[in-house]
Amino acid sequence: MNSHFCGSSEHDVSRRAFLRTLGAGTGLAASGIGAVHSFAKPALNDTLKSSGNSVILLWLAGGASQLETWDPKPGRPTGGPFAAIPTSVPGVHISELMPQMAKRMKDICVIRGLNTKNGDHGGAAQLMMRGRADEPSLRYPDMGAVLARELGRADSKVPDYVSFYAASEGRDFSRQGSSFLGARYAPMKLAESMVPPNLKRLESISEIDHLSRAELQQLINNQFIAGHGTGPVKSHANAYARVHGLMSSETLFDLSQEPAKARELYGPTLFGEQALMARRMVEAGVPFVRVSRAWWDSHGQNFETHQEMVPELDRVMSALHDDLKQRGLLERTLVLAVGEFGRTPAINASLGRDHFANAWSAAMFGCGLKPGAVFGKTDKDGQTVIEDQVGAGELFATVLAAIGVNPKKEYHVGARPIPLVNPGIKPITQVLA
Amino acid sequence: MPTDPAKFKVAKEVSRKDILLCLARVPETKRLFAGSSDGCVYHFDLAEEKPEPVAMEGHTGYVTGVALAGKQVVSGAYDGQLIWWDAESRAKVRGFKAHDRWIRNVVASRDGKLVASVADDMVCRVWDAATAKLKHELRGHEPMTPNHFSSMLYACAFSADGSLLATGDKVGHVVVWDVATGKSLATLEVPEVYTWDPKARIHSIGGIRSLAFSPDGAQLAVGGMGKVGNIDHLEGKARVEVFNWRKAERVAQFSGDKGKGLITHLVFHPQGDWLLGAGGDGKGLFMFFDVASGKVLREEAVSNHFHKFALDETGTRIYTAGHNKLSVWEAAA
Repeated sequence: MNSHFCGSSEHDVSRRAFLRTLGAGTGLAASGIGAVHSFAKPALNDTLKSSGNSVILLWLAGGASQLETWDPKPGRPTGGPFAAIPTSVPGVHISELMPQMAKRMKDICVIRGLNTKNGDHGGAAQLMMRGRADEPSLRYPDMGAVLARELGRADSKVPDYVSFYAASEGRDFSRQGSSFLGARYAPMKLAESMVPPNLKRLESISEIDHLSRAELQQLINNQFIAGHGTGPVKSHANAYARVHGLMSSETLFDLSQEPAKARELYGPTLFGEQALMARRMVEAGVPFVRVSRAWWDSHGQNFETHQEMVPELDRVMSALHDDLKQRGLLERTLVLAVGEFGRTPAINASLGRDHFANAWSAAMFGCGLKPGAVFGKTDKDGQTVIEDQVGAGELFATVLAAIGVNPKKEYHVGARPIPLVNPGIKPITQVLA
Repeated sequence: MPTDPAKFKVAKEVSRKDILLCLARVPETKRLFAGSSDGCVYHFDLAEEKPEPVAMEGHTGYVTGVALAGKQVVSGAYDGQLIWWDAESRAKVRGFKAHDRWIRNVVASRDGKLVASVADDMVCRVWDAATAKLKHELRGHEPMTPNHFSSMLYACAFSADGSLLATGDKVGHVVVWDVATGKSLATLEVPEVYTWDPKARIHSIGGIRSLAFSPDGAQLAVGGMGKVGNIDHLEGKARVEVFNWRKAERVAQFSGDKGKGLITHLVFHPQGDWLLGAGGDGKGLFMFFDVASGKVLREEAVSNHFHKFALDETGTRIYTAGHNKLSVWEAAA
């Protein structure tokens, strides 16, 4: 039987607990209108939360071209001008724009058979972030919120979900959110700066004052909770503690702490710096970090755009791979590179490619994934998926399964069970370790 | 008697499935060599009623530069190769890797003795057309943009007497070279043709896409696209600036009205009557300029983007290569 976990010995407990929970079925009843509950056993949740597993999503906003990255079609009328190069996986070729990732392909997993059917930026971004389309009366939590809830620890001093989105274009297309999971699992959004605003202690308050105030606040809270024990008060106390935690981990957001060699590895661009920051965050225990690289929407001059942006992606992604591997973090970190859709095989008169969701690609590596796996196949011109077609739900479920979260798990909103993925959606077992 | 730009009309069109990216014409004929997105150079004789293109195979990437040097055709492609062909037999004479990265343009001096190629390795190489020996390696363009991305060297042009060569890159830097010595004579900055979007999309578009010396060599025209709001599209206004390059003075600037997109080719009328630019966005665009008055004489948006064109000796016939189409425009008598 395939295990969907990382395979490291420290996760054996998780694996057993996970399987026991699956066997136990769904015995717990939900209660309370509007409250969210899950069927996962607390012991399993605790084990999973202590696993330190994380996901870094490289969000290629605007839609990067699969033909200029993971699924090249050289020599075809749709292929464009870039050559394909061999990789460290025999028989697998990717675009010549990605020589660094080609060398590392034996550790990478590529999904070439995405058919997500939605070519609208906003709808597609939501679909890919949530693994399914919202219902009229229900907005689903996105991947970050789900993983923040499943992997985040109550005592963590760092945020559970951080989202970098520096470019202004498309920032609102993929409206992230925790929906019914609550604000506790909403992203800390970093747009204009890589450092959260108001992180520094006011100069008018001394360090001693600052600590004294925190201790007093904690004392009062504890007394109140002991007497009343209400959820909102606990939640407030938690939030307060997390803010304090953030303030005390100010150095987390300080890239100057990194040696020059590490910064050189990621490169001088904003995307590189944010990816390096993402590594620092998962190292510090942040379960989900989204680093958005916008904007790939190359309706005109597709090849110039990709010649500019894909080498940056190649450098950043390979740097992330090497850095995580070197630090022993790759076994507990999954990196996914995907956007809202791919780009048309047809080349328009502006030498551009337009929106295309019928046959495109994603790439990932790390925790719980089968290294070197290539799943799915498109036709010779890249117009349709001809083998192993999957959608947004399957990709979402695969990430959950790989990181150790049971995709069949259910939340409850009131009395209504809400599975993490839609019924019938399964992870792609062929790419799971 | 100057040719009236208003008189040009389409005389012939040849539909194609590929994208024709460059063009060279055999003097005094209607024979053309065009570089294609399918990696071939095609020979067309437009004197034929139904021209039958003949493929010349040898490249493995988009063919983006083709020049006629005496009795030879020299083509350059994104595969970094330059290939010499016999213009009559269309047989391959020689070919070799001339650049490490995409070749963006190939031009020949009017006397056919020299060929110059520019590529994304940011080097312009000048070749002896007869022997293919390297005469100069001209390095005057930064490999990286100020924003840490690879730059591109798109354009080059000889002066009519072959003594000058100009090169232009993505960020709007122009170098004028002395062909005899390979020394830089002057530099110009044309930043308006490069749009770096630091906020909305965090990448760039544009660049110098075309260059042309006036017949006397005193002026240099620079073509591209003006600043762009939404760089997802070629929606900036077509732009041409003309310089007295020795004084580094801009003597004229033109901006498209109807016409959006890149000016990908510029040629002065043989007698200097006007300057012709072509290119476009998703559509094609012709612009005729009167440099002396600073006026646009004619601006015409048509279907199908143009990549390159050739003007005949009399300035009354224009051959265009573009997206899915080869066209002939003639000035009605």
